[in-house]
Amino acid sequence: MSRSAARPRPGAFLAAAALLAAHGAAAAEPLAAAISVRGGRLVASLDLSSAFPPQSERTFGNGLTNVVALHVTLAAPGEPPAALTGRVIDILFDVWDETYAVTTREPNAPGGVRTVLPDYAALRAFLAYPRDVDLGPASSLPQGSFVVEARVDVNPVSQELLERTREFIANPSATQRPGGSRSVLGAMASFLLREPETGGGVHVFRSRPMAPAEVTGR
Amino acid sequence: MRSRPTAIPAIATAIALAMPAAAQLPAAQLSAAPAAVPARPASAPEDASGAPAPRLYQIEKIEIRGLSHAHESAVRSRLLLTEGDLLDEEKVLLSRLRLLQLGWFSRVETRVERGSARGLVVLVFEVDERNTLLVSDLILGSTPAQPIYGGFGLSQQNFLGRGLGMSGAFVYGGPPSGRPGDPDRFALRATFFAPDLELPHLPRLVAGASALWLRGEEFTCTTPDCSEADHHYGSAPRLRYERIGGEATIGFRPGPFERIMGGYRLEHLHGAFLAGTTAPGKLPDLRAGDSLLAALTGTWELDTRDDFFFPREGLRTVAQITFASHILGGNYEYSRYYLQLETAYALFGKPLRLQLAVGAAQGDAPFFDRFYAADFMYFAIGPALGRALELNFSTDSRYDAFLGMAGIEYAVPLWRGSGFFRRGYLAIGARAVYSSAEPGAGRTTVSKWPFSAECALRLDTPVGFFNASLGYLVDIVL
Repeated sequence: MSRSAARPRPGAFLAAAALLAAHGAAAAEPLAAAISVRGGRLVASLDLSSAFPPQSERTFGNGLTNVVALHVTLAAPGEPPAALTGRVIDILFDVWDETYAVTTREPNAPGGVRTVLPDYAALRAFLAYPRDVDLGPASSLPQGSFVVEARVDVNPVSQELLERTREFIANPSATQRPGGSRSVLGAMASFLLREPETGGGVHVFRSRPMAPAEVTGR
Repeated sequence: MRSRPTAIPAIATAIALAMPAAAQLPAAQLSAAPAAVPARPASAPEDASGAPAPRLYQIEKIEIRGLSHAHESAVRSRLLLTEGDLLDEEKVLLSRLRLLQLGWFSRVETRVERGSARGLVVLVFEVDERNTLLVSDLILGSTPAQPIYGGFGLSQQNFLGRGLGMSGAFVYGGPPSGRPGDPDRFALRATFFAPDLELPHLPRLVAGASALWLRGEEFTCTTPDCSEADHHYGSAPRLRYERIGGEATIGFRPGPFERIMGGYRLEHLHGAFLAGTTAPGKLPDLRAGDSLLAALTGTWELDTRDDFFFPREGLRTVAQITFASHILGGNYEYSRYYLQLETAYALFGKPLRLQLAVGAAQGDAPFFDRFYAADFMYFAIGPALGRALELNFSTDSRYDAFLGMAGIEYAVPLWRGSGFFRRGYLAIGARAVYSSAEPGAGRTTVSKWPFSAECALRLDTPVGFFNASLGYLVDIVL
């Protein structure tokens, strides 16, 4: 499964993070997060393990580039995000070397940092427990309680890409005359293109309200 | 370095630098002689982080797994890669999306497996086929002159597993009310459509054919509701007619969302006037006895909608011209023009859909090639009722030469899920229809008011799209 053509651009992080803030709250999973201050920067360590179950090895080990986009925000309840960031990770399993080549791009490393992980256990640890996610300057920490939210997109497919592959969505008979019949239960066929099930996944996580005192290293 | 979709020019350069010998070999040659590929493909230079860049692989074999109905060659023809190509992830992704958008599969996954030698890979497409046999027509109706009639249609969107469309439908009304010994009225229609026809030395074509057998009646009373018959419709005068024929079309696709088609239509017609106990009114246009209708048709279709059931963007336009003449072998000399336009539910940024239709028929067009206004209304206040597969079960037989329709629909999405009723929305609409028998004749009062409205529950299911229409119920009552 390859979705790298839909890779989010680092420049789109802010917009995506803003979208995250507006994302519906219903589907959010609990998020275990630890926030600290290091070198004047807010950094987060997260537990996203439910987004990367052991069986996802089949997805990430398919020999094609898989993309994971992570967006994290920190906000006081009901307020716009005070801190936010994004991270895009390309994962490519080499079927001959049986290693995972991982490229991570962040705002402070837009060109990407490459690493090679020896097996899926190492890859899962890397994806499920991100460390040192830079949220911005420590001064952006809210005075009161705050919530950390994270959104994980696995292999997002862009609308633009769907458009490129879309042709006639229906194939009605060329000879069928316009203006058909109808009835109380008038059915029509050829509805074939619904939104295709592209197989990507979206996970939204939200932490419990946290107090500034829980931020270590201040 | 492996092909990266977002930086193709750079990658092309990198490929050329990394493995010039392989890159210069034609794909067929590579396929025939995999030994020509380096046993361990050259790597791109290491990047600043010191990690090696991914390597470039050649596709030794493409496997499609999970097919039960769809023909493998039909699936392969949609892929953008062939065996012997270098593995291009963008083409893999686009191929996968193309397969998904065919509508034949509920799931398409891709993966790469080791080939027979280092540097070679097997590209695997794993698919789950979905149902492509759909209900196309489900008709149940009642009029004062016909207590009950009904019909059914099925459409196979992947006929023979080769992406061909095949559909059939029928409507049955039995003998006319009050005349049990008369022939049954029915309509049968069968259509075949090849959306992507490959012929040697020609661009890809589209082709279709349809057949129709219809036996019906049109009342010829002096009033639209045949009030002079006093509900004894068996004694009313009528035109009994029969149509047997078909149409063959062929065309091409100037763009991914367009079709231009030309067709030849030939029908054998038979019309007979049956006098009743009341005085006859105007007869619908049809030659008495046997006649032939021969016509050329030209159709342009544009469909950029993103979804057939609930489009949120795009446009559907159909323009059709019919030209019938003696020189084509028929007995009728007329032309017919029809234009239909329908937007997605996205007008003014709201879930609003605009619908427009205009039509004109000139010359001695038979009545069924004119415009029956009730076909274009949500409901008609009066005896007229929208036809079923072109069969008219109402007492109103007024067909017009000019038609204009404008409508707007507002949609309220209700749910989406994975059950039988996958999606549903409530459609609330209004339409105005104007039709006229001839220029300057004024509006034909097929409906007392030119306006009609709709409130319908539309359902998307695995077997078709259903429309539970309050407008149609009102139409039957009014």
